[in-house]
Amino acid sequence: MKSIKGKASSSPPDTPAVSPSRRSSFYHPAEETFATILDYYGIEWEYEPRTFPLEWDERGNVIEAFSPDFYLPQQDLYIELTTLRPKLSTKKNHKLRRMKELYPEINVKLFKRKEMRDLMVKFGLYEQAAMIAGTGAQNQDK
Amino acid sequence: MPAKTLADYGELAEGVGEILISEERLRQRVAEMARQISLDYAGKNPLLVGVLKGVLFFMSDLLQLLTIHAEIDFIAVSNYSLETRKRGMVRLVKDLEIPIDGRHILFVEDVIDTGLTLNYILNNLRSRNPASLEVCVLFNKPNHRLIEMPIKYKGFDLPDRFVVGYGLDYREKYRNLPFVALLKPEVFRG
Repeated sequence: MKSIKGKASSSPPDTPAVSPSRRSSFYHPAEETFATILDYYGIEWEYEPRTFPLEWDERGNVIEAFSPDFYLPQQDLYIELTTLRPKLSTKKNHKLRRMKELYPEINVKLFKRKEMRDLMVKFGLYEQAAMIAGTGAQNQDK
Repeated sequence: MPAKTLADYGELAEGVGEILISEERLRQRVAEMARQISLDYAGKNPLLVGVLKGVLFFMSDLLQLLTIHAEIDFIAVSNYSLETRKRGMVRLVKDLEIPIDGRHILFVEDVIDTGLTLNYILNNLRSRNPASLEVCVLFNKPNHRLIEMPIKYKGFDLPDRFVVGYGLDYREKYRNLPFVALLKPEVFRG
């Protein structure tokens, strides 16, 4: 499983905080944007560092699992981003519910499509916000 | 005098939807906050620190309602954008003019959502050894929070919606609305 980390303070000042090799590891452009925002504000992050088993078959094999997109170690907080339209995010909502049942001590925050759009607008990323609002967003989500 | 309607705000009202917090409610809540701060900081001559530009309205109204001596100063930080990102990390683009070593600092903010900017600023201020450092925020958006921090004085919890007015802007517009309102969806599409 891949796991990449970020910390803006180690980035050269004249280059984007997320290096090309790390950039290629993201599933969705919104994740890369989120990582660059965290880097900009000096917040340590890890990308999909842990997978939580959610369902097992009768032999004990894991048949469903959840890997939150980001972990912020200083905040002990997992972040899951989604650009899916609400009616298409049933599976993700189910996983988050199971997470809370099985791992109540783990803090997971979900940034939904609208919250992602608001976040992009807040940081002046109007084109990215428009992409999330567009129909393409639902196809790019993992 | 009859209450104002949206039409009374001319072009400023274009794109504005539902009003969430009226002028009157804002005035009342700021007055309540000012009363509490005046009690807590009596005799301490606090320095109120704000971040430009959104806090201007709140800072001005709050300061006028305090019944204690207080000083103000402002800082400005580089906002995240594609351009500033190329130049590295967040940084101060305007520093305080008043030294804060040993002072009682009340950091005054219009809105806290992710907490990213505030976290950076508080760490910066803390490193200058103030006697105390507390946070006063008018609008709190807890659903967006990434960095948790204690807030001593809080005006309103805002819903998980994009709002404008009383210092809050959308693309530098609508700051000067005297109330807090939602924008119509077509504004974001345009």
